[in-house]
Amino acid sequence: MFETIRNAVRHHELILSFAVRDIKARYKQTALGVAWAILQPLSMMVVFTLVFSIFAKVPSDGIPYPVFAYSGLIFWTFFSNTISGGTLAMTANSALIRKIYFPRETLLLSVMVAGLLDLIIASLLFGAMLVYYTISLTAAAFWILPLVVLQMILALGVISVTSAAHVNFRDIGHALPLFIQLWMFATPVAYPVSVVPHWLKPLYLLNPMAPIIDGYRRAIILGTRPDLEALAVSVLVTLTLTVTSLAIFRRAERTFADVI
Amino acid sequence: MSDITIELNKVAKRYWLRRGWYVTSIRDEMERFTKRLLRREVAPREEFWALRDITFSLKRGEVLGLVGPNGAGKSTLLKILSRVTVPTSGSFVVHGRLGALIEIGAGFHPELTGRENIALNGVILGMSRREIQSKFDRIVAFAELERFIDTPIKYYSSGMQMRLGFAVAAHTDPDVLLIDEILAVGDASFQAKCANKIAELKEQDKTIILCSHSLTNITDHCKSVLWVEAGRVRMLGETDAVLDAYLEHVTAAMNAEAEHTQQQERAAFEGLATIHDVVTLDAAEQPQTRFDRGDRILVDITYSAAQPLPGAVFGVAVQDIQGYALGGVVTDPDTVKITSPVERGVLRLILDPVLFNRGAYTLNVNITDPTLKRTYDLKRRAARLAIDGPRAADRETSGHVYYPHHWDSLR
Repeated sequence: MFETIRNAVRHHELILSFAVRDIKARYKQTALGVAWAILQPLSMMVVFTLVFSIFAKVPSDGIPYPVFAYSGLIFWTFFSNTISGGTLAMTANSALIRKIYFPRETLLLSVMVAGLLDLIIASLLFGAMLVYYTISLTAAAFWILPLVVLQMILALGVISVTSAAHVNFRDIGHALPLFIQLWMFATPVAYPVSVVPHWLKPLYLLNPMAPIIDGYRRAIILGTRPDLEALAVSVLVTLTLTVTSLAIFRRAERTFADVI
Repeated sequence: MSDITIELNKVAKRYWLRRGWYVTSIRDEMERFTKRLLRREVAPREEFWALRDITFSLKRGEVLGLVGPNGAGKSTLLKILSRVTVPTSGSFVVHGRLGALIEIGAGFHPELTGRENIALNGVILGMSRREIQSKFDRIVAFAELERFIDTPIKYYSSGMQMRLGFAVAAHTDPDVLLIDEILAVGDASFQAKCANKIAELKEQDKTIILCSHSLTNITDHCKSVLWVEAGRVRMLGETDAVLDAYLEHVTAAMNAEAEHTQQQERAAFEGLATIHDVVTLDAAEQPQTRFDRGDRILVDITYSAAQPLPGAVFGVAVQDIQGYALGGVVTDPDTVKITSPVERGVLRLILDPVLFNRGAYTLNVNITDPTLKRTYDLKRRAARLAIDGPRAADRETSGHVYYPHHWDSLR
């Protein structure tokens, strides 16, 4: 973990370069360009509002459902894009990995940096929505920062294992969309934590993403601090996962060039 | 700090040969796992040692040539030195910044412009942004791509991409440089540019490992040579000694191979005439394969003909070790006249003086009809010559052929 931080600092130019490459390449020869960063969560919000709020009448803790859904969706989209991009990062750069040495985790970190830009763009619409629904931010909104950091550490933990596994087993790539979708439904993106049955809650909160997404909503819309108890569990799970995964990644990366 | 820049100690690299596709599936792994649990027999995976027991060191400013047949482990060795992969056992150190002119342009993204790719590739190769910025104009000028620098490189020709890749890599300013076959790519002027750049780096006291199939490049640039064969160090020493031994080995192998294709090839000829034997002799008419430049060489061709072949033409072609044709001579229709069946004819070609520079050469001998279109018989690598003489690097001569000359200073 410390080595990753050291590498991130030492190779920040490389990470930025990869991120710039990914962003530029992603939106080149597209008509809508960066608007896609908004369209993805926006269309999901429309679908969710229709299905969960209007058809299924899922409660949303008294928050207008579109804002409720979008607040979860932009951060979830950041997470899921990072997971899918990160998992495929090694194989997508196989030509590079086979031929040139550079710290491989820079590819993972760059995926997160590139995703961060999309998040910021998607947040612009969110800001507009807050104005429209006359929701004003309080000091609690500063909780966003540690939550984003925690979410990124968690994502790094996930992708350092999945990307290394994907180099050896391409099955991972096939399982990925399903895995992300299941995880989303285990996270309070489309529904509030309050609808989770009491007996299931301890298990439910073992999902480190659950208190994070819930925390964003509290911090931005309700103006309160996150559920700190649940968040403490999340931090513990996240750190354990990420430290282990990074160790696995470091072991595996030595032979990436041979098997990729 | 000591003078040693590169040091390898018993470096070995093992690969597992994988069945079918190169990526295993989880199913495959689970199968092996359960079989092991059930104490069933697990098919051993085949191993392949790409490198074994490689030990050598290089001092600062040394230029080492790396030779060996395809699959000998040269690329694996360069991969280990450039840290792309790790050795299975053994250890190595490289002091200083390492640059590799191996897979130039590997980090290029087709959608990005030349400018953006220089920035990206430069950082991947270990330069800082500021460094790239300061060298940007020189890189573009070197690649001769001023007009196209803001065009996405997917619209570049492969030559343009190569030039750009080399330009970036050549400006990384490394202390240790690995070069693989780079001199063989690009057009003539680009090759010359590469050669100049390498000469320039040599002068700057860089440590260089040059891997090439072009032995001329090796002799031109390297003081010592490492010959790798089947993953092991076959020979390490002064360029001359190693290359001589290597050439000897390669031609022997090629002869054996040629023998085989020859038999198939000759079956296709009509058997009207047969070349039995080709022997090179020295001035005293003694069989000899080693000569000095300027010697008189006799080439005796023993042949037979099953029927009269009026106007049959004999030809002798000389090639260098890599099979490049250097020149051929044929007989006049009057030199040999096969007017009746011949049981044992001998034709002698006299080369006096022989004007080939130092190196190994082989002779192809053939008999054709007067139009040179119908081959009666052809014997590839029928004879082998080794010519001694001053090294190309000694500046007295270069290339394969020496031409008689003298200089006049007129003013």
